[in-house]
Amino acid sequence: MKRYGEHRYPGKLFIVEGIDGSGKSTQLSLLHQWLRAEGYGVVHSEWNSSPLVSRTTRRGKRRHLLTPATFSLIHATDFADRNERNIFALLKTGAVVLCDRYIYTAFARDGVRGMDARWLRELYSFAVKPTVAFYFRVPLQVAMDRILAARSGIKYYEAGMDMDLSPDVEESFRLFQGRILEQYEKMIPEFDLQVIDATLPIEVQQEQMRQIVKSKLEQAKRLMVAP
Amino acid sequence: MRETYGSVLPGMNLSGMAGKLIVIEGTDCVGRTTQINLLRPWLEQEGHAVLVTGMTRSALAGRGIKRAKEGNTLGRITSTLFYATDFADRLENEIAPALRAGFVVLTDRYTYSLMARAMVRQLNVTWARQLYSFALKPDAVFYLRINVENLLPRVVFSRGFDYWESGMDLYASDDLHESFCKYQTALMSQFDKLTDEYGFEVIDASASVDKIFRQLKKGFRRVLDSGRGAPSGVSTQKTSQDEEELTPPPSAKPAPSSIVQPDKS
Repeated sequence: MKRYGEHRYPGKLFIVEGIDGSGKSTQLSLLHQWLRAEGYGVVHSEWNSSPLVSRTTRRGKRRHLLTPATFSLIHATDFADRNERNIFALLKTGAVVLCDRYIYTAFARDGVRGMDARWLRELYSFAVKPTVAFYFRVPLQVAMDRILAARSGIKYYEAGMDMDLSPDVEESFRLFQGRILEQYEKMIPEFDLQVIDATLPIEVQQEQMRQIVKSKLEQAKRLMVAP
Repeated sequence: MRETYGSVLPGMNLSGMAGKLIVIEGTDCVGRTTQINLLRPWLEQEGHAVLVTGMTRSALAGRGIKRAKEGNTLGRITSTLFYATDFADRLENEIAPALRAGFVVLTDRYTYSLMARAMVRQLNVTWARQLYSFALKPDAVFYLRINVENLLPRVVFSRGFDYWESGMDLYASDDLHESFCKYQTALMSQFDKLTDEYGFEVIDASASVDKIFRQLKKGFRRVLDSGRGAPSGVSTQKTSQDEEELTPPPSAKPAPSSIVQPDKS
């Protein structure tokens, strides 16, 4: 069992982090298209998407069965499954792997829910250290405005309703995301997160991202994969 | 005041757990269920309210684990974490409330089986220990110990070899018998290590059902008679130095440096 640290696989791992409404998924998908067009073998893996665990997670969320502990553990199970079946093998093969959210999401969310910070870091110590971890920094109000303008409803756990912060979903969401933001800020030096100012125009952010990614890919071999 | 092996889950109040937590450990087909089926009515006749719980019985993750085991893609870290989810759900929703209500909680396996499995699969020992460090320390652990030679006939004449019980994910071969022996031997040696570390009370499981039951009853009586409402925890039988080494509370430890530095362990 390898522990968190620089991997020596030929592949590269780029991940994006940030609160809901920071625009990270948009940026990742633009990066994905560009890398594909450049001829790289790119694979995208999303937080909370393992088919093995998804029914259990859905059940837990729908019936509000999840406590901070089980919320944390079921997401760790999901992540482990994607890692063991997918991410490791891809990195060994030399692929460029893009992850929408990574272990830092768990550190932030589960930390806010009261799970012990050191326990969480040990829990995820089997994860590969990303080549670059992008953090999309955005003021809470900006993110809130984007979310509330775009979405019909905020989900129970997304709003942190399980924490009894406020009976009002929007207010709970604001308080919860605010605390997550604080956790992210603390993790910037801890994990050497690459900060992107998510209030800049989309094109400017994307350009910054591509520059950084490009510098990391220059040493990487290009897998011949049909676009 | 009850104790954990280090970390405490949010919202878990360790005081006021008047009940007793008793663990029956042992490998597959060793006779744990048979004994629990005898112990439960006996305990109830003695006037104790009993809760029986065991692996994969959680409302949250039980079915999911069974489904995942039907396929052949369940990885070792994933499997360990899925079981940890199941365990946490039962701990929070069954075990802790029952202890608070003064029940005798009889658990068919505990975190020790899960750690033994993880260790056989070469997972990092520190990782596995810290993962389960939120578990409540039981009042007693009875380990039904057997050797592979005595275990084999039981398996062959009951339900036969099971894929996971034969460790086929580790020792895949055409010969299930061979895989089973290898896997169970490896598991048992891990259990022996845990026996010393956690102070299990060992019971010879090759004896007759009746004899094992008598021994268990004796052990249970001792636990149930000892200072009601003041759970002692298995660990109190060990020296404090041992315990320090085994289950350091995370608060007393510096942040794990492994998180920022490559570590080949």
